[in-house]
Amino acid sequence: MKTESSAAYIARLAITLLLITAVVAAALAAVNSVTAPKIQAINEQKTQTAIEAVLPGGGEEIAFTDDTGLVSTVYKGQSGYAVEVTPSGFNGTVTMMVGVDNAGKVLGISVVNHTETAGLGAEAASQGAAGTAFRSQFTGMSGSVSVTKDGGQVDALTGATITSRAVCTGVNAALNAVAKLG
Amino acid sequence: MAQMKYFYELTISSSPHAHSPVTTRTIMRDVLIALAPALLGSIYFFGFRALMVTLVSAAACVFFEWLYCQILKKPCKTYDLSACVTGVLLAFVCPVTIPYWTIILGDAFAILLVKMLFGGLGKNIVNPALAGRAFMFSWPVLMSNWVKVGFSNAAGIVSTADAVTAATPLASLHQGVMCSESIGALFLGNVGGCIGETSALLLLIGFVYLLIRKVISARIPVTYILTVAILTFLFPRGNDRIAWMAAQVFGGGLMLGAIFMATDYVTSPVTKLGQIVYAVGCGVLTVMIRYFGGYNEGVSYAILCMNVCTVLLDKIGRPVKFGAPKKEAAK
Amino acid sequence: MDFKKQFKEGLLTKNPVLVQLLGMCSTLAITTSLFNGIGMGLAVTAILICSNVLISALRNFIPSQIRIAAYITIIAGFVTIVDLALQAFIPALSASLGVFIPLIVVNCIVLGRAEAFASKNTVAASAVDGLCQGIGYTCALIIVCVIRELLGKGTFGGGILNGGEGIRLIPAQFPAMQMVMPVGGFLVLGFVIAGSQKLMKHLEMKNKKKEAAK
Repeated sequence: MKTESSAAYIARLAITLLLITAVVAAALAAVNSVTAPKIQAINEQKTQTAIEAVLPGGGEEIAFTDDTGLVSTVYKGQSGYAVEVTPSGFNGTVTMMVGVDNAGKVLGISVVNHTETAGLGAEAASQGAAGTAFRSQFTGMSGSVSVTKDGGQVDALTGATITSRAVCTGVNAALNAVAKLG
Repeated sequence: MAQMKYFYELTISSSPHAHSPVTTRTIMRDVLIALAPALLGSIYFFGFRALMVTLVSAAACVFFEWLYCQILKKPCKTYDLSACVTGVLLAFVCPVTIPYWTIILGDAFAILLVKMLFGGLGKNIVNPALAGRAFMFSWPVLMSNWVKVGFSNAAGIVSTADAVTAATPLASLHQGVMCSESIGALFLGNVGGCIGETSALLLLIGFVYLLIRKVISARIPVTYILTVAILTFLFPRGNDRIAWMAAQVFGGGLMLGAIFMATDYVTSPVTKLGQIVYAVGCGVLTVMIRYFGGYNEGVSYAILCMNVCTVLLDKIGRPVKFGAPKKEAAK
Repeated sequence: MDFKKQFKEGLLTKNPVLVQLLGMCSTLAITTSLFNGIGMGLAVTAILICSNVLISALRNFIPSQIRIAAYITIIAGFVTIVDLALQAFIPALSASLGVFIPLIVVNCIVLGRAEAFASKNTVAASAVDGLCQGIGYTCALIIVCVIRELLGKGTFGGGILNGGEGIRLIPAQFPAMQMVMPVGGFLVLGFVIAGSQKLMKHLEMKNKKKEAAK
């Protein structure tokens, strides 16, 4: 048995740990090579589903320079555009997909990701009656939208004015982006 | 078991064994009397449903306390009226449209989980009525369904469908806009809000009664309300500082919370310094939640937060033992 | 090796969640639907068995000074493999459990069993220990999940049954949303622990009576 401070013993510790780490890394690399293409395919599928929900037929990503800080990506399809926008909600960013047709009218909206309060703001994304009714209001709107409290035409979700405003901000950003594209 | 029975009939307490006519029952009776003006006011503002909700809530609280004692075969102390006070206070912090089943579930939570499971009156760490209200935010839509004030708009005793809904003054204050109601209306209570919280005047009458009967001291309520007043005066939104401050003080549940909930013996500190820190903490948190928080009203959460700090606040401002050595006193 | 004893310990008397109070973070956070509970339970069980076997096999090879670093590396490796596999093959579960899959690395159950059991016992015994503790964890999660989902959403089997909606047992306006919020996690876990203690006392009394009768 070597003493614990000898150089040989310390080297043994280092080499043992190195071996374990190397084996684990190799195993991870092997697993990753199998799963990476699958995960990528799933993510692409997810984006396409989100686009198709608001833009029939789907679309391809196009270049867009954004000066509002709200628009993250624009996809162009045959009937119009799908714009991914990220307005600030009550507790953080609300990521939404907004479909806009070539005439500048909203085709539909869907909330992709959010951290709003459950039962109030989170209704904006829910598949329940309140959420569906709230989102369907936007279909066909154009120009500029706002909640009724601010003199607009959108009925806010019960107890969630801030979230409703955020959704309106997102829709406006998408409409403006499409207007800029022509 | 026979021995246990006699054990329960004995009054066991630590010294001094001075006899006093003041019992939990008389204190709670005084609190109920002090709440009566606000209850009468709420009938005038919101109709008879306000009375019904309050009665149902009080009855449910008494029932759940009795039920708990029956199930666990403990001596029942329901006659001390404390469950009744919890029930009335919980009803007072709910909108008048609250369905009966919701408030009964809130009562069950307040009495069974918050009060009795911790050992009953005197052992609960937070105010049962406020904890019940926090739990009732399980139904956020029901808890923020406000009706327009006025007997003619009153919600029906059975159905609330015809009630005319309207935003409360606090909702506009929360958005940083001065409310449309006048300060006079806010003071008298002729505005939307929870059942028992709207009238500062009627709650203050109760406050004076409690002070005369020496049930509570003025320290916590006055410090609490002053803290809110100073903070809102220093940081107003809008041009009129005084009006903004008055709206913040008289609107919402501040009076009800400061007078009847923050002063709960069990969940507030006993030392003078502790009480002042506790009340200032309540005030700061209330303003913070009203300004920056998710809900319009911050009083209930502010008091709940300070309730759980009480065990620590009791350690500050303790009087030095008479004749104790300096070293110990310095501790 | 006493399989029956290990199984009883893992399931009840030394249940990682209900008695050892390990792995609280995931227990409180993800137990909002049956799907989450089963998924998380199986993921942890798989990782527990793998890491226990490997650590037990290497127990004479790893010097004690670097054992924690070595254990964590091995555990993190398995967790990442499970994470990648879930993302690729069961994306719905991966999305639902989110960050709590990577967080299994710091789940005290896995490291706790490595340190307390696998580093001192044979490979076979460690594998059984991983399985038993994993089953105990899964059962506790499922119990908490079922209660929280029923009280908080009014459904049973959310994420799996009835096309992911779950079977509705309580009409939609009644369930108490707070029960699927953090506060409900603490409340339900407390009651489940109390219930398990009661059950254990009951079993103990029964055993004593049996022995006395002998």
